[in-house]
Amino acid sequence: MTEAATREKSRQDLDVAAIRQQFPILSQTVHDRPLVFLDSAASAQKPDAVIDAMTHTMRGQYANIHRGLHWMSERTTEAYEAVRDQVAHFLNAPSRDEIIFTRNSTEAINLVAHSFGALLKPGQAVVISEMEHHANLIPWQMLRDRAGIELRVAPITEAGDIDLDALQGLLADGKVALVAVTHMSNVLGTVTPAKRIAEIAHAAGAQVLFDGSQFVVHRKTDVQALGADFYTFTGHKLYGPTGIGVLWARKALLEAMPPFLGGGDMISTVTFEKSTWANVPHKFEAGTPAIIETIGLGAAISWVEAIGFEAIAAHEAALTAHALTRLADVPGLKVIGQPKERGGVISFTMDDVHPHDIATLLDRNGVAVRAGHHCAEPLMRRLGLSATARASFGVYTLPEEIDTLVDTLVRIRNFFV
Amino acid sequence: MTTSGANSLAAPHPEANGFGVRSAGVTSPEVHTSGNSTLADSGALYDRLIVERARTPQYAGRLEQADAQGEGKNPLCGDKTRVELQMMDTHISQIRHQTRGCAICLAAADLMAERVTGLTVLQARDMSHRFSAMLVGDSGSAPDAHTETSALGPLEAFAPLRAHRARHRCAELPWVALKEALSHVDV
Ligand SMILES: Cc1ncc(COP(=O)(O)O)c(C=O)c1O
Repeated sequence: MTEAATREKSRQDLDVAAIRQQFPILSQTVHDRPLVFLDSAASAQKPDAVIDAMTHTMRGQYANIHRGLHWMSERTTEAYEAVRDQVAHFLNAPSRDEIIFTRNSTEAINLVAHSFGALLKPGQAVVISEMEHHANLIPWQMLRDRAGIELRVAPITEAGDIDLDALQGLLADGKVALVAVTHMSNVLGTVTPAKRIAEIAHAAGAQVLFDGSQFVVHRKTDVQALGADFYTFTGHKLYGPTGIGVLWARKALLEAMPPFLGGGDMISTVTFEKSTWANVPHKFEAGTPAIIETIGLGAAISWVEAIGFEAIAAHEAALTAHALTRLADVPGLKVIGQPKERGGVISFTMDDVHPHDIATLLDRNGVAVRAGHHCAEPLMRRLGLSATARASFGVYTLPEEIDTLVDTLVRIRNFFV
Repeated sequence: MTTSGANSLAAPHPEANGFGVRSAGVTSPEVHTSGNSTLADSGALYDRLIVERARTPQYAGRLEQADAQGEGKNPLCGDKTRVELQMMDTHISQIRHQTRGCAICLAAADLMAERVTGLTVLQARDMSHRFSAMLVGDSGSAPDAHTETSALGPLEAFAPLRAHRARHRCAELPWVALKEALSHVDV
């Protein structure tokens, strides 16, 4: 079978109508129009499987974990810890002990900036890229100001790819301890060549962190194949609940790093004089975690894996191709970035119509998109823009919804110009 | 405030173009020209006046000899407006703005300039309060709301923004700039 035929087949294998049935919210109307939800990159909607897993926990099987000697606590601990195994498998991590639950990607990156950052010495450097979300920028700025390290920024090309030659140049002096870059841009949709970036980083003696917040939703992630040292993602973009995120890191790193937050659950022994820390991963999970949300994340991962990333990737590739073709026909519309590889995220501007007006007028027609700087102000500056409108796709997105978007954009343009 | 059901701000008229503005032309682009957007119904967010002023502002630019100036910036979207004033005694005799922003922000700057021309500093400040009050929904409560110096006049076009809290900042930005400019005026 040719590649195109394979794609077509897996697209058909993805029964979007059946998938949509599992998302109660998608039958809502907004301003008396059917909801066309094209803002999944900000946060995805939740399938019944996730909603049910969470309510099932609260209704029938819930207690605090790791501490109770009673039946309910033991069952809840099992359910919670089972998600750690699931996440390890989801990322192809070598060990379940390398999976740390956090609140979201932002907290996972802050954990690394704090605890890996504590191992860095003044004069060492961290490299990020020009297209990072603020979540992968501010924690490093804070570390720089606290620890006297240097923060270097790898430029992107006009097309919206990381400039690998320039990256290599930034690493040449051997001072870089960590390269922390996105695995997929939430603005440009760029899928970065993570494996190549890891090779470049390692060749210069640096570790590498990938912000997988966007990527894990769209493609199979394999931290070992990538050669990653740290990897982060956030549950709510993966059809899971808010309040739960993941940090994966190589065990040797986690063991060398001091704790992040202190409190219950993360200790081994405690006296007023001195305390010792629990083994990883618990060393990094202080306090009662997001038990219900973690179980919800487990349900989300099972649900996504049952569909399969081959089908998901093919569906989104087809939608993105359709959207790019149709958007090209909207007068005055400019798609931002032409990356070599793109996930289901498209940012655009329209001559003479501000992204806020686009978003508000689309909303009047039931179409939800995001407008603004998308938590990537330096990238906007680099692009010479103050804001863009962004449409993003999920497993439940229909080609007809993209048609509604495009038709409405044409009307908006006629309205203003 | 959500927009559904009985609220007239929400449901576009069946003949409306879905933007809350009735305009037969917009639904069929081939016959549409920019001139035939008819006047908005009361629920329209994008009143025709707003669209027109966004497209062709009448108070855009700079003053040769400004007595005071002020700036407003919205870090969330990069919108920016700069206001320059010329005073005659206690009155604003001339006002110009340079605005980079959305249609709401552009029109708000232009209609603000129109409305406060000729007002005293105190009257302009009062107008600013009235405008904010209208956005949160208590316009008209003041007993003198309809006197010549205090009526909102063309600024009423922004009343439908009440239902769009996320856009209030867009309409308020020029007033932030005006407030700063007025703070530099000695009276
Ligand atoms: C690329 C990227 N990184 C990080 C984040 C932060 O995710 P969260 O807010 O869940 O921590 C987001 C989403 O907002 C994102 O798109």
